[in-house]
Amino acid sequence: MNRDNLLTAKDLIPEFIESLAHVGAEVIKLNGKDSVLAYISENYPECITFENKEIWEEYSFSCSKEKLEKLGTIQLEGRFGVAENGAIWLDDNCFPNRLLPFIAQKVIMLLDSGKIVKDMGEAYDCVNECGYGVFISGPSKTADIEQSLVFGAHGPESLLVFLY
Amino acid sequence: MKGHSYKAGIFLKDESRADWHDKTLWMVRQKRDKAARSVADWEDLRERASSIKEQVLSNLDFYLSEFEQRAVENGVKVHRASDAQEFNEIVYKIVTDNNAKLVVKSKSMLTEECGLNTFLEQRGLEVVDTDLGERIIQFRKEPPSHIVLPAIHLKKEEIGELFHEKLNTPKGMSDPVLLTSAARTHLREKFLSAGVAITGVNFAVAETGSVVVCTNEGNADMGVHAAPVQIHCMGIEKLVPQTRDLAVFTRLLARNATGQPITAYTSHYRKPKPRGEMHIVIVDNGRSDRLKSDIHRSSLKCIRCGACMNTCPVYRRSGGHSYGYLIPGPIGSILAPSYNIKKHTDLPFASSLCMSCSNVCPVKIDIHDQLYKWRQELSEKGAFSPVKGLVLKIAGFILSKSALYDFSGKVARVALKWLPRRMVYSKINVWGWERELPAVPQESFKKWYSKNSGKNNL
Ligand code: SF4
Repeated sequence: MNRDNLLTAKDLIPEFIESLAHVGAEVIKLNGKDSVLAYISENYPECITFENKEIWEEYSFSCSKEKLEKLGTIQLEGRFGVAENGAIWLDDNCFPNRLLPFIAQKVIMLLDSGKIVKDMGEAYDCVNECGYGVFISGPSKTADIEQSLVFGAHGPESLLVFLY
Repeated sequence: MKGHSYKAGIFLKDESRADWHDKTLWMVRQKRDKAARSVADWEDLRERASSIKEQVLSNLDFYLSEFEQRAVENGVKVHRASDAQEFNEIVYKIVTDNNAKLVVKSKSMLTEECGLNTFLEQRGLEVVDTDLGERIIQFRKEPPSHIVLPAIHLKKEEIGELFHEKLNTPKGMSDPVLLTSAARTHLREKFLSAGVAITGVNFAVAETGSVVVCTNEGNADMGVHAAPVQIHCMGIEKLVPQTRDLAVFTRLLARNATGQPITAYTSHYRKPKPRGEMHIVIVDNGRSDRLKSDIHRSSLKCIRCGACMNTCPVYRRSGGHSYGYLIPGPIGSILAPSYNIKKHTDLPFASSLCMSCSNVCPVKIDIHDQLYKWRQELSEKGAFSPVKGLVLKIAGFILSKSALYDFSGKVARVALKWLPRRMVYSKINVWGWERELPAVPQESFKKWYSKNSGKNNL
């Protein structure tokens, strides 16, 4: 199957947004990546992004766990999203350290709204071979105490997705 | 050893708790139904999942060696264990070779099956289960009562009391949000200081050598990425041929387990992290024997979604601990006797054979049929308790003789009316402990039918 064809279906956006809400993520849709970045720097000035090479190095595998533990809000960019379940695929190239998407208190996730596939069938046609990759669908959660849903079991307490 | 019915009796003594348990699990079942109905090709997915598993089981040697080869190419150290003892020793060696004292673990029924925690603890290591439900039961020193919801038998007040004792939370605090947050703080400390992280495996992909782990809490990832050494433990039956096959299983698993469209994290581990070490231990422990048996091999298709438990009227009203085996419910009842036929003779009878389990199973295991086959096998082997054995023998004799059957019916109708209560509801009649027989009819169905059938053109 042609990967580029899969990643353009615009009519999947509403379903994707609905799925994200269902799994407990917040969603904000803006026009263009620049407006997303401007919005983040205005509203989440403390947010750490890894786009700059030095920061990438600073948080790579040699970074101490104690330092990672102190992370509040971080910004990552997903490779593509899945409409049926709100999952977003990230691989080793999306972060300098595999622990980052889990150890931060809040994750802000950017996603190009042209990169949404219909279901897991299409999704697995798009996953690339990588050392580590993960579908993330909403924040960390548990219902182990009397089936009451609680966010932030171990990983992030909230997930904010920016579609552009 | 007291059997399932005895322990179920104790569980049912606390009627309001039994009702609550029943309703909670039924709610999970309803969520599952809703999620399943939202997928148009659900039945087709089940069919595909079943046939992928069949395909793997029929060519297991091939997929195992393909998987192993790929994993080694990825820089992973692969180990094979034929039984629980060997498995525990392999894991112990990896831990000690790395001078680790603290091991964090995410959910793995396989490590429960092999008794890994006890093995490591007896050798002076600290093992911390990091799934919230598992940590709760680890604190209580009891086995899980459900494979997906390990602490489903507990009320929040009991967990509050437990955390007060173990984690020093304020007395009387039982709010799930606050309790979860206390566990989070406690477990973060463990994640950051552990030398080794162990996980179970949901699926292992032969063509890439990767293993896939599904969690909602993110605890497998917290452990694996924070510790220098990661160990993934899998039974031989966890394989799927290709990455694409994961699409079928990830669409089914969480929907069928809890009604979620997918777990919060579906993690694919293929290569070790920089400067990290990655091990995969592949365990047999009786599985290849089951594979050889035409009758019982289909139980190896199980993906441990827990749906057969949630839907089972017997499980819901007897609780996971009444089964006396680490995997309770319908699937546990067909797995347990293959491990220890003497100890678990009663489990294939802990079912009404209503077929609900087979109807919800995402990989189409014929669970009810397996239960029935076990009953036959057990009766051939004469493995029943003396009372059950005798009763079944008499029943078999009477049912095979039509005249004798009619006569017995007549006698029973009269006897049940006139016999003193304490004889009918005697100690031997377990069935009568918690139940009342319905009023005895005047005539037999056979008589009624021959009188009425002409009239209604039945
Ligand atoms: S037997 Fe089927 S329904 Fe039961 S846990 Fe296994 S996969 Fe799920």
